Amino acid sequence: MATATYPPPPPYYRLYKDYLQNPKSAPEPLPPIEGTYICFGGNYTTDDVLPSLEEQGVRQLYPTGPNIDYKKELRSLNKELQLHILELADVLVERPSQYARRVEDISLIFKNLHHLLNSLRPHQARATLIHILELQIQRRKQAVEDIKRRREEAQKLLKESLTTLEEH
Amino acid sequence: MDIISQLQEQVNSIAALAFNTIGTMQRDAPPVRLSANYPEPPPSANPTEETAIFSEQPKLMSAALVKAAKQFDALVAALPISEGGEEAQLKKIADLQAENDAVGQDLQKQLEAAEKELKLVQELFSQASDGCLNLKMPD
Repeated sequence: MATATYPPPPPYYRLYKDYLQNPKSAPEPLPPIEGTYICFGGNYTTDDVLPSLEEQGVRQLYPTGPNIDYKKELRSLNKELQLHILELADVLVERPSQYARRVEDISLIFKNLHHLLNSLRPHQARATLIHILELQIQRRKQAVEDIKRRREEAQKLLKESLTTLEEH
Repeated sequence: MDIISQLQEQVNSIAALAFNTIGTMQRDAPPVRLSANYPEPPPSANPTEETAIFSEQPKLMSAALVKAAKQFDALVAALPISEGGEEAQLKKIADLQAENDAVGQDLQKQLEAAEKELKLVQELFSQASDGCLNLKMPD
């Protein structure tokens, strides 16, 4: 029978013995970590950015620049992919031992395709934010209209009740 | 699913079709004569049935591959990307935030006015009901 004891909790709890009486006697929680940190022996970073293809050692097939025409690049990469698959089939028929280069080319195209699609995500995030803000503005305008209408109705009712009371 | 995830799924399915096509072709191809020195390869056990199935497969698989590629193109055409890039989007977000703040303050003012009127009406109502109770003679 294997009995594995859990590791004990960190001993900081003793510092908080008098927390209820005096909240200032115990240390404050640490500020959040910025930059890189080590977790279970692995390095992680808090800066979430998509690493560029060069950093991963992959050749970039589509042109860089400030504004990339995503549709055009995606379509041309798709055509390239189809051509390369056809080339692979040809090579397997005629010179089967030279498949490795063609397979590498095809995987390069796939890596470029996925990197392009991933780089569209920030654009999508901003577009979602714009959509949410527009919805919120619409809801607030609707609420303002509703309140105005109700106030006018209430005023009207009060005037009517006033005239009814004055008649009697 | 959003359009970018659909595009990613489509890329993955094109990859799967491609390697399935090439792999199946390579696995099921009948032996072929390599050079004049070697004799013809021996005929297989069920020649007609296998060759019939085998000649259908590349047509079907390549048709599926081309269809997947066309679907990818259709999805790319459906991408709602507007020109202008990052700066235009950020500017639009700043504008919308300003408008949101203005409308929010408007709403706040209306709300306060409405609450004041509500208090007034409640006060009047309680006075009127007190007056009613005092004037009404017990039967």
